Parts: sequence; structure tokens; C-alpha cells
Amino acid sequence: MFSYALKSLRANITRLVATALAVILGIGFLASGLMLTDAMRSGLTGDVEEQYQNVDFAIIATASSEQSSGMDFQLTVPESVLATARATPGVEAAAGEIQADARVLRPDGTTANLRSQGRSWIADSELNPLSLDEGSAPKGSAQVVLDRKLASEAGASVGDTVSVQTPAGTKQFKVSGISSFGRQDALDDGGTISFSEETAVQVLNAGTPGFSDVLLRTSGDPATVQAALEEALPTSVAIQTGEQFVSDAAESASAFISLLRPVLQGFAYLSMFVAAFVIFNTFSVVVTQRFRELALIRAVGGTPAQVRRSLIFEGMAIGVVASALGIVVGAGLAIGLQALLRQFDLEIPGAGVKISTYTVVLCMLIGVVVTTLSVIVPAFRAGRTKPVEAMRSSAVDTSGSSAVRAVFGAIFLLGAIALLLANRFVGVQWFYLTFGALFLFIGLFIGGPLLARLFAILVRPIMALFGMTGRLAADNAVRNPKRTATTANALVIGLFLVTLVTVSGEAMKTSLVDQLSSASSPDFIVSSQGAIDPKLVSSIDKTPGVTNTAAIKSSVAVESTGQATFVSAASLDELTKSAGLKVTSGSSDAVASGAGIAVPDFSNFGGGALSSPGAIGAGLGDVVILRTLDGQELSLPIVAVYEGSLESFVGNIMNPETFKSVVGEKPVSQVFVRVEPGQADAVGQDLEKVLQGYTGVEVQPGNFIGQIVGTVFDFLIAAVNALLAMSVIVALVGIVNTMTLSIFERRRELGMVRALGMTRQQVGRMVRFEAVLIGLLGTLVGMGAGILLSWVVISSIADGAIDLSFNWARVGLIFLVGILVGVVASILPARRATRLNMLDAMSEA
Amino acid sequence: MSNAVQTSWAAQVHGAAKIYGSGENEVRALDHVTVGFEKGAFTAIMGPSGSGKSTLMQCAAGLDRLTAGTAFIGDVDITKLGEKALTLLRRDKVGFIFQQFNLLPTLTAEENITFPLDLAGRKPDPAWMTHVVNTVGLSDRLHHKPSELSGGQQQRVAVARALVERPEIIFADEPTGNLDSTSSAEILSFMEGAVKEFGQTVVMVTHDPVAASHASRVLFLADGRIVDELMAPTRDSVLDRMRNLGD
Repeated sequence: MFSYALKSLRANITRLVATALAVILGIGFLASGLMLTDAMRSGLTGDVEEQYQNVDFAIIATASSEQSSGMDFQLTVPESVLATARATPGVEAAAGEIQADARVLRPDGTTANLRSQGRSWIADSELNPLSLDEGSAPKGSAQVVLDRKLASEAGASVGDTVSVQTPAGTKQFKVSGISSFGRQDALDDGGTISFSEETAVQVLNAGTPGFSDVLLRTSGDPATVQAALEEALPTSVAIQTGEQFVSDAAESASAFISLLRPVLQGFAYLSMFVAAFVIFNTFSVVVTQRFRELALIRAVGGTPAQVRRSLIFEGMAIGVVASALGIVVGAGLAIGLQALLRQFDLEIPGAGVKISTYTVVLCMLIGVVVTTLSVIVPAFRAGRTKPVEAMRSSAVDTSGSSAVRAVFGAIFLLGAIALLLANRFVGVQWFYLTFGALFLFIGLFIGGPLLARLFAILVRPIMALFGMTGRLAADNAVRNPKRTATTANALVIGLFLVTLVTVSGEAMKTSLVDQLSSASSPDFIVSSQGAIDPKLVSSIDKTPGVTNTAAIKSSVAVESTGQATFVSAASLDELTKSAGLKVTSGSSDAVASGAGIAVPDFSNFGGGALSSPGAIGAGLGDVVILRTLDGQELSLPIVAVYEGSLESFVGNIMNPETFKSVVGEKPVSQVFVRVEPGQADAVGQDLEKVLQGYTGVEVQPGNFIGQIVGTVFDFLIAAVNALLAMSVIVALVGIVNTMTLSIFERRRELGMVRALGMTRQQVGRMVRFEAVLIGLLGTLVGMGAGILLSWVVISSIADGAIDLSFNWARVGLIFLVGILVGVVASILPARRATRLNMLDAMSEA
Repeated sequence: MSNAVQTSWAAQVHGAAKIYGSGENEVRALDHVTVGFEKGAFTAIMGPSGSGKSTLMQCAAGLDRLTAGTAFIGDVDITKLGEKALTLLRRDKVGFIFQQFNLLPTLTAEENITFPLDLAGRKPDPAWMTHVVNTVGLSDRLHHKPSELSGGQQQRVAVARALVERPEIIFADEPTGNLDSTSSAEILSFMEGAVKEFGQTVVMVTHDPVAASHASRVLFLADGRIVDELMAPTRDSVLDRMRNLGD
């Protein structure tokens, strides 16, 4: 029987390709989703584990237990702690970490990489994540080590002198060495510039002594060492084990991915479900097509078990080969997405595709298991094929309308609707939502034949308007309600998912993009590491299409507690007009008059994922004390709080006079630009032209994270829909198949009606109507379920804040596709029916 | 009577030939047959299997096409009609009663009866409809589906369907082939009644001498030719002729 299975596979290449394609695409999508998530996660967390692999303990500041990443201010561990730690018994090595944005300029003055980081070089080679490939470690105030990636981007080698921009300004450094990170060229995505410890304090920390954390390598009993450290160190710092430190660091580094993770996982699960469905359905159709062949095998003496085994073996063989191909296709899809995004100048975090063992094993497992399971149900059905089955002529099959079926179908459907409505109106619980969706499907499947009959009763009067052919089509469509329902179900699931993904995917995208756009909502940000010339500011202001601008001066100030904090001079009113900043309490006038400062409100942002800087986490009425340039302490009351969405760009906002007295004269470093609606592309190009000739000044879309997310979503929606198109095609094949089977069964009857005077045209129309009705049934049920679930899901994302704002055009399009499937599916069976030789058909006994 | 000058034939064939295959494999299902079916007469066609009796009926009814010769329904030469015109002619001028698969299972008895009229988009004459339904005794069965009717009742529906459109001619192909003797007798008497009372023309193919005895004229076919003819047949006279055919 195995040899039969193999021969059968070889003999039916087309069928094999159709089936395998379902598996390949299904697994391919799943694989690409997993690979991209992996790549993004590792890209964003920056190989934290590898970076800190030899860290036994870490000392962190305790004012906040969370670190904030990508921000220009951090809690610091005082310099004295490092000395104390080094003197503690059991400590083999200690190093303070300092990290801030830094850029290397190419000889022509352009920036080598915009995302490069400056770090202090750690002398202890085991604690230092970087290893020195060439040259020597940086010494003194004029040497740096570049990593291999950045060195090649900057075109610099050991011994060259390069200009480096740091928060302290641009300075010349000599490249003393080239570093690498493990097997990779770079630790930070954009490359790393390493300074000696003293220099790092100066250029990266604005001269403020202190470290973001202190890394320790110890020997002996960890508990003893920890106790000794706790004894020796002040209470303002805390000691973490290496593992704890790594997991905290990874957590904070992946704030962005934590936003995307549920979405990506959701898509992965969805794709898994779709893949399983597509595979299952393809096999059902294929086995149905082979009923007569299988009946023949049974007739010549094949046992039911042999028929079953040959089919299951066939399924497994396809599962293994196609899943492996699917993983390859998945890698291709993932690379394709990255390339596509790069075309739009959008780089998603994490370069290349990471094919982890986990991904391969999971994809192979799911592919083979799902394929095998998918074939088991039809295989058992096939095993039961009676040798004479294919010859049977059934008149009206009412087997699909038992009372038990009606009761169970109704219970599940009503239960599903109750659960879904409860979700919608009482508040979403994913647990109930999942069960609601599950029940909905079970209900639709059990109740399918009854729904089909109900549908026929409803459309009968409408179809009767098309005359006798319409009437008969409606009746014929439910001659065998179970089969009609099964056929329509293929379309139900396909269109359900298309609708769900399109409607709720769009809404999720809009919601997420809005959320992210509001996090950086100017249309463009013109920024410079150095200064933006006042003349340039006015040129930007005068560029046609630009409606508002806000010029911002920023710097790091020092609080009386010694902690660094990020301050900016800007007008809140201008920020409101150009970047959508919202003052949630207090008054912008008070800030403008110099009565106090405005601070970001973190309570509503990302569920508090980002910490407030130092003491400035306080609210309205609290006082912040900053050290001024002349060593005085300046008390500044908080007189306004703004929505914490621009905080990483502007920090704490004060008027220019206050700013000057705190940090001195500073140039404009950022300009937020608002343009006329719909003019973004054109104005963006004009701004690029305006900026020509100003080195180091660049214009970026203000909501570029939003754009990335939007593009990723568009891709995911498109990719899922492409996969679902596959399932729609499978549904189409299913309808063709069912219709062909029905026509074969009804050939005598068709011969009779032809004799009685039904023209070929009328016969063709009758068959086409019937196929369209099956298509319509599947479309209505599928879209109905999809819209219902979307309606519930959408309320869950935004707590009812987003309405189900339908893209009616797209919903209409899906509907048309569903109907079109019926029309296309009817072509072949209708032709077969009209060409039927009426005498042959009738004379068959 | 067959040789008498008849001005009004319901249907007729002239030099009708139906040949399958060619050369050595040539089979002459109909070998240049000329015959007419009078209006208002009940004609039975008999003959052994393969004699061409069904072929003759199918070609005369416009279900099949002749290889040579002409066929008329009324005064229309159906061999000159295209597929669609022929279908419409069948729908409007010809009634059929088959041995089985006579009714559409999804339609009620009444809907089955009016089916050819519905196809044409016409309404039955209500008085005539009532009369026909009463004649075949179906008035209390009109809203039943075929699956709820006995075999005899199903054939009565088929008879009513053939009668209700008042066709030029009704062709019946072994209409009692699947029925018990009681139901057969009912159906045959309905057909006989239709001829006598309504002046309906009926042509019936059968191999049952009892059925044939209800006709006014019996044609005997063998090897694609008309070999004999019997007027006012009885069961015994038909059996007698049949025996002679075998020789």
C-alpha cells in the first residue's frame, strides 16, 4: 500500500502541487513571522545576554528600579561607589558603564551612522563585551576605539584622526584600535565608539561624575561577596545578580518590541490557524475528488485500513517535504519584507534573518502534524467508502438536519454570541473572547447544514423572480445540505479571516500608528548634532506648505542631587501647534513667563514603562532644584504638565531665559515642523533642498516609528490576505468539485428537464445560480462572523475608543470576491451540465 | 387506415434512418422508416430489444436527430430546427412520460405538473388544470413532494404534466415499466381516456402486450423496420403477432 501511495503521489503531480503549495505557504508565513520577530527582538535588545555574560553582579542606582533606554538622562551611580566596590573582598574587577549618543563624521563631514553609541572602554577584558581586534585600548582624552562596522562606514583605520560628535560637542580623536563584539562586528546596532573612562565621563556624561551602572566580576562564594558588598556600599545603590541585571536590561531595551510583540504573536497564531485550515481543506477536497478512485481500490479488495494508511502516509510525506520548503519560503518572505521596507527608507530593527532551531522545529512540527491531522479525517471518511458509493444517486439528502444537530448548533451559536457580546459590553477578557470565537466556529460547523436550509428558504422567493431556473437552483443548492454547508464552509473560513484581518487589522494599525504618531507627532523633525543656524530656522519657517515650526534648544542640566536631567528651551504654544503637544494640567503662560517649568506626565504613557527622570517624576506644584552654571541652586516650581509623548525629544521645558541661566547659551538643535495636511511628501522634498549646504543637519519624518509600524502592518495584512487568497482558491476548487459531483448525480434528471423543454441556456443558468448561491452562503456567513468578531476585538484594543470604522469599499470588495468565487466556480460545472447528452443521461440505468 | 390519405398527422417521419458507426461496425437502428401518427389516436410501438422502437420515438419526438430523412411535428420539419428552436418546440408542442426519473424531487406535485409551462413563463388555464388533476385523482396530493407519493401516484403526476399543456402529441416511453399491475391499469386508462375524451394524440413505446392492448393501433418493429401493424389490438392478438416476429 505504501508503494501505491508513492505511485499515487507521482502520478498526480498537479494535485500534489496544489496540496503542497497550501502547506508551503502556510508554513512559510508562520516561519517568516517567527524569523522577523526573532530578528527584531535580538536587534532591539542588542544581544544583552552576550554583552553581559561575564557579569556576576551589577550595582545600579535605586531611585528607580527601571532603566530607561534611548533617553539622554539616566540615574547615575556615584563615582565613589566604583572605588568602594573595587576595594571589597571577592571583587576581581569592576567597571562603570557610561553610554550616550555619539557620531563619527566621515572626512567629508557627513555622519557615518546616525544610531551609533558612545561607551566607556572597560579595561577588564572579561567584563568588556568588546574585544580588541587591532591596535590598543583608548588612552587619555584624545583616543577612541571604533568597532569594525563603524570603522568601515566611516572609512577609518587605526592611526587615523576622526571627528566625533558627542553631547559635549565635536572633537578630533585618534583611532587607537578596532573592536568587535563576539562573532559580530558591532555591539550597538549603529556601531560603538569607545572612550577611555575619564574621557567618557567628560564627553558622554557632560562632565558629571557617575555611571549608569557598575559591572562586577567576582570570585568565591557569591552570597559572601554579595553580603560584603551590601555592607560596604551606600543605600542609594542596589546590588543585582548578573541574571537579574541582564533580564532587566533586556526588558527595558525591548520596550518597543513589547508593544509589537502581542501583535506579531497574534499574527503568528493567526497564520498558524490559517495554514492549518488551508491544509485541512485542501486535503478534504482532494480526497473527495478521489472518491471514485478510492471506491475502485475498495472494490478490488483494498481494506478500509489500507485506504486510510495510504492516504495518511501520503499526507505525512507531503507534510515533511512541504514544511521544509515552507521554512525556506519563509526566510525568503522575511528577507523580502526587510528589502521592501528599505526601499521606503524604513529599517526595521534587526538586520538579516535569524533562523533559530526553535523556528525550524516549530514549523516542521506544525507542518507535519497539521498535514497529518488534516488527512486523517478525510482518510477515515475515505476508508468508509463503499465500493458502490460513487454510483449512488441521491435524490434529497436530509441527513444534515437532525434535531440533535439543530440543538447543539444553536447552543454553540447562542453561547458564542453571548460570550462575544459580554466581551463587547462588559469589557474584553481574552479568555472569553477565545472561547467565543471557538464556539462561533463550532456552532457554524454543526449548524452549517441548517443554516444552508434556512438560507435556501430565505433566498427561494428572491430566486423565484428569476423564473423556474432560479427556483430550482435555490432548491438544488440544499439538496444535500451537509455537502453544501461543507463546501460553503471553505469560503466561510476564508472570508471570515479576510474580513477579520482586514477590518480589525486596519483598526489595530490605525490605533497603534496614532498612538505612536502622538509619541512624536510633528510631521518632520529637523535636527542637528551641532547647531541649527538661525537663518536656516527662518528658511524652514518660510518653506511653502509649512504651517508651524517650533525651534528647540536642549541640554543636560544637573539637579541638586547630582542627577542629570534633560532640559529644553521652547514655547509650549509652538510645540502644541507644531507637534501636537498637549498640556494636561497647569498653564503654558506660566512657563513662558519664567514662573516655572513644564514636565512630562508619564502616568499615561506605555503603562509607566518609561521612568521619570530623577526627582522630576513629581507633579504640579512640586519644586525642582537645578544647579546653575555659576554654582548656585535654582528652585523651579512645576507649573505645567504635558502629555508624556515628546519627552525624549524635549524633556523638561522652560523659557529661554531660565534655560540660559541654567545651562548657558546653546544653539537651536531641533526644529519641529508641521505642514499642511496631505503635503508631507512634497514639503519633505523641499525641506531636503533647504537643508542642502548645512552639514550635519537632517530632516526626518516626525512619526517614523509610526511609519514603520504602519508599513509592517500593511505588509502583515497583505501577507495574511495573500495566504487567505490561497484558501479562497481552495474554496473555489471545493465549489467546482461539489457542483461537478452534484451534476454527475443528477444527470438523469438533467436529461429529463432538457427533454421537457429546458433549453441549454436555462440549464446553464440554473447551475450557475446554484454555484453563486453556495458562494453567497459562504460569503454572508463568513463576513458576518468576521464583522462580529472584528467589532468585539476592536473594542478590546482601544477600550471602545475606536469605533468599528469600516472601510466599506474594502468590505464591499471582499463581498464581491466571494460572489465572484461562486461565478468562476460555476463555469466548468455549467458547461458540463449543458453539454450533457440528454439521451445518454436518461438511458443510463 | 395507415395507407389512407390523412390530411392531419400529429407527427410523421419520412425515410427516417438512424445509423451508428460505419463500415463493418455500421448499425442501422432505423432503416428508412416512413410512418405517421394520426391526431387523436393512441398508437403503441412494440418490438424486441434493439428493434429500434425507442430510437423511432426519440427521433419523432425531437429528442434525437435522424441520420437521414425528415421528421415532422404538426407541419414543422424538426430536422431543420436548431437546438434551441427544437427545445422550445418540445416544450410547447410535445408532452413526455418516462419510465422513471419523471419528476423533480424538490418540486411539489403541482409544481411538477406546471413545470414545462413555468419554463415557458406561461400560466396554466385554471379550469383545465383542475379538470386534469381531478381526472388523474391527484387533487388531495398536489402539495406533496414526489418522495411522499407512491410510484403510481408519481406516474399520474407525469401524465397530468403531459396533459396540462395540451401538447400536439404525447410520447410515453414504457410509462408502466416500473409499476404494479393495478397502477399500470390506472395509468393506461388515464391515457386512453385522454385520447377519447380530450382528443389527445398519444404515442407509447412498450414491450407489454397488456399495455399495447389499450392502444387503437400497434406498430411492430424489428431490425429498424416496421414489420407489422395491428388495429384495435387485444392482449392475445398482440401476443400472437409478437410470437410471429420472433421467427
